[in-house]
Amino acid sequence: MDDAATVSTPTPAVEQAAPLLRLSAVVKTFPGVRALDGVDLDVAAGEVHCLLGQNGAGKSTLIKVLAGVHRPDAGDIVWDGQPVTFPSPQASMRAGIATIYQELDLVDDLTVAENVFLGHEPRTAGFVHRGPGARRTREILAQLGHPEIPPGRLVGKLPAAAKQVVSMGRALSRRARLLVMDEPSAVLAHDEVANLFRVIRGLTAGGIAVVYISHRLEEIREIGDRVTVLKDGRTSAANLPAATTSTRELVGYMTGRSIEYVFPPRPPAPPVPQRPTEPTVSQGSVAAPVAPLLEVSGLGRSGEFADVSLTVHSGEIVGIAGLVGSGRSELLETVYGARRAHSGSVRLDGRVLRPGSVRAAVRAGIGMAPEERKSQALLLGEPVYRNVTLATFGRLARAGFTDAARERAEAARVTGELRLVPADVRRPVRTLSGGNQQKVVLARWLLRGGCAGTRLLLLDEPTRGVDVGARAELYGVIRRLADDGVGVLLVSSEVPEVLGLADRVLVMREGRVIHEAAASDLDEHAVLDLVMAGSLLSGAQAEGDLS
Amino acid sequence: MATATAAPVDERIKNLGVTRQLLARPEIGALLGAVVVFAFFAVQSSVFRSGAGVANWLDPASTLGIMAIPVALLMIGGEFDLSAGVMVGTVGLTIGLLTGQYGMNTWGALVIALALALALGFFNGYLVVRTKLPSFIITLGTFLMLQGLNLGVTKAVTDTVQADAIDTAPAYRPAYDIFASTVSVGGVEFRVTILWWIALTALATWVLLRTRFGNWIFSVGGNVQAARSVGVPAARTKVVLFMTTAAGAWLVGTMSALRLTSIQANTGIGEELIYIVAAVIGGCLLTGGFGSAVGASLGALIFGMVQQGIVYLGWDSDWFKFFLGAMLLLAVFTNQFVRRLAEESRR
Repeated sequence: MDDAATVSTPTPAVEQAAPLLRLSAVVKTFPGVRALDGVDLDVAAGEVHCLLGQNGAGKSTLIKVLAGVHRPDAGDIVWDGQPVTFPSPQASMRAGIATIYQELDLVDDLTVAENVFLGHEPRTAGFVHRGPGARRTREILAQLGHPEIPPGRLVGKLPAAAKQVVSMGRALSRRARLLVMDEPSAVLAHDEVANLFRVIRGLTAGGIAVVYISHRLEEIREIGDRVTVLKDGRTSAANLPAATTSTRELVGYMTGRSIEYVFPPRPPAPPVPQRPTEPTVSQGSVAAPVAPLLEVSGLGRSGEFADVSLTVHSGEIVGIAGLVGSGRSELLETVYGARRAHSGSVRLDGRVLRPGSVRAAVRAGIGMAPEERKSQALLLGEPVYRNVTLATFGRLARAGFTDAARERAEAARVTGELRLVPADVRRPVRTLSGGNQQKVVLARWLLRGGCAGTRLLLLDEPTRGVDVGARAELYGVIRRLADDGVGVLLVSSEVPEVLGLADRVLVMREGRVIHEAAASDLDEHAVLDLVMAGSLLSGAQAEGDLS
Repeated sequence: MATATAAPVDERIKNLGVTRQLLARPEIGALLGAVVVFAFFAVQSSVFRSGAGVANWLDPASTLGIMAIPVALLMIGGEFDLSAGVMVGTVGLTIGLLTGQYGMNTWGALVIALALALALGFFNGYLVVRTKLPSFIITLGTFLMLQGLNLGVTKAVTDTVQADAIDTAPAYRPAYDIFASTVSVGGVEFRVTILWWIALTALATWVLLRTRFGNWIFSVGGNVQAARSVGVPAARTKVVLFMTTAAGAWLVGTMSALRLTSIQANTGIGEELIYIVAAVIGGCLLTGGFGSAVGASLGALIFGMVQQGIVYLGWDSDWFKFFLGAMLLLAVFTNQFVRRLAEESRR
């Protein structure tokens, strides 16, 4: 394990002042996952400390430890020179740590001032003084450089950027000394990011420390003082100077993850058109040109993604790499008919699918394994076989009644093929591990008769919440499906997964496909560069600002 | 696609027009509804628009409104109380039995009934916050239990299904004057409950909009996670809301006991839904976090006008519930429509 690049640059001269916050060797384990496996972090007063790391590196868990949501299993937290524990969010807040999550903790139907002072309202004898509350709020907002936000406006009516300012205002009103911001720029438009940076600079000038999480390197260069990189739940590099550390170096600390994924071998000659700039061009690998199984052309949904064209051939695995919010999941759901495209078309076997109709997609032979499989795909309390036959009721019913024995037999057959463990189809799905739950979802689409039934599988983060051992097996299953002639369109935040599993890779950023290449022609560095570098634009979530 | 939108700078931060702000208020739909309903009946019936007529339909509206207000607060806080109606009966019967049967001083009976009601409200609230079960289920349980208790105890004590002779107890008269008498305004006798109703609407509105407890109500109903994480005592807030509802039931139970001087064992059954209907017509969302006390009162007002109005028009009052249901649907559609309008007009 340790042979991999687990560099820990010894913190040099930055030691002069005692840090405001110091984490050492923090460990947090969840069932089946070691989310944090020895994290060190030093944050000094008045600095912007950036946290960098790939998905699954442990950033979210780390900030939840700081926010008092998770309690670490081991390791020390020293706050302002004192060893501390944060048993609850309130404890962390009282200590002076304010966390600003992506989905902001605001109450939409209260006003700005009420939100800022919620839980510690200025009052006498239980009565809120509207005047002073509004005045203080106005002062705080002015201090944040946003005096134009009306303290009396309901928060639900504000744009995302203003809500973020209100969240920061709340932190100020509680005299927070450390602000943890989780990808604050993800919800902001270009010029709003500049505003945010101005606000952050104002805060740090006043001695407040900021822990800033972002995937965008140029942001980190612009606003950050020091960078700590996480990889596989560990600090792989600490306290790098933000402005001068090269992209190559930063990406280097993030990549080469020590967990070895075992990917099944690709078929020797993938029937892959290399760059189908004109979507219909397809050069078959051997002789006759093979028509694509799935053909998406010019697909777009305003505010989510635009002008996406891609093809998937029978037997091919196509991977989409991109950050959360780059529009990849939305794209997949649009192909599946769960969202209605605003422009463009989806063809399966040359036939146009009715837009916005899951039913049409399923009947045409498309199956989907969604990202949130527990809430979106499975009936957790129901036995395995019911979940497997869910999409197949029609065929298994006899005279309108479902035939439980046959259902079970059929389900046992497909789940056996997928090596479901335990192999009892009567167990409730709830009792299975993440990997086996995913197999149940896949089995559902297989039951429709492999090639003849399901022709195309859409997989959104297929290994989320699946432990390492089970992943390799799931990869094997997906590859075998492809070998049987199913086309697979795969979305994943984990670059190594896309590269290892897919035949061809599309890189999405800000709702557009910016690169397409054979997986063998790309490496993790190249993809991470594509995904993270570039402009600050973030259209993906700013749809509220579009007309 | 969203790229490169040179953000049409924060249109949402600018001052909104008065109309738009009005449209976004929860009670706007109910206000429109009240105006329409009033106009409808007033045009067709001269009695309806006369002073005596107004007094007549304000009367049922007032007792309903007194309950609809705390029920609305509770709904804004994200919970329901299905036992609110039957609790009115419990209070009335308690007062009736203590005074009529045991000859207790009326004030003493009122205090005991209040303590009982608050205990019931606490019980509801405590169970809801402790078990984290839906309040719909918990209060459905207390609803059924109280229903049985009301009948069982009344029969055991009086051998009939009612408690009567409330007016024979000491200090009946002063209590009656406060809770059930009428006030003459311009020659028309108005029930004093109307004053209570107006005062409580004002009080609840003030609490909701001007006190920190009001903020807490919105926050526990709108985003309980956020509320907790900033230190709002969410559990306490909810328990207090259940107790407030119970206090409302006490007030209404007291009013009807003193006014009618006898109380049936089945009093209040079915009323709980009417309270919720009034609150919903008034703009409360079933999901919590949104609503107003004024809206709930307007909902009650509409209810009172329809109830009496169809009598004045000589319609078959058996159809009352039908109109009520149709109106509920109409009101929620209007609310939804108006809200969407308000949302969209800011784009």
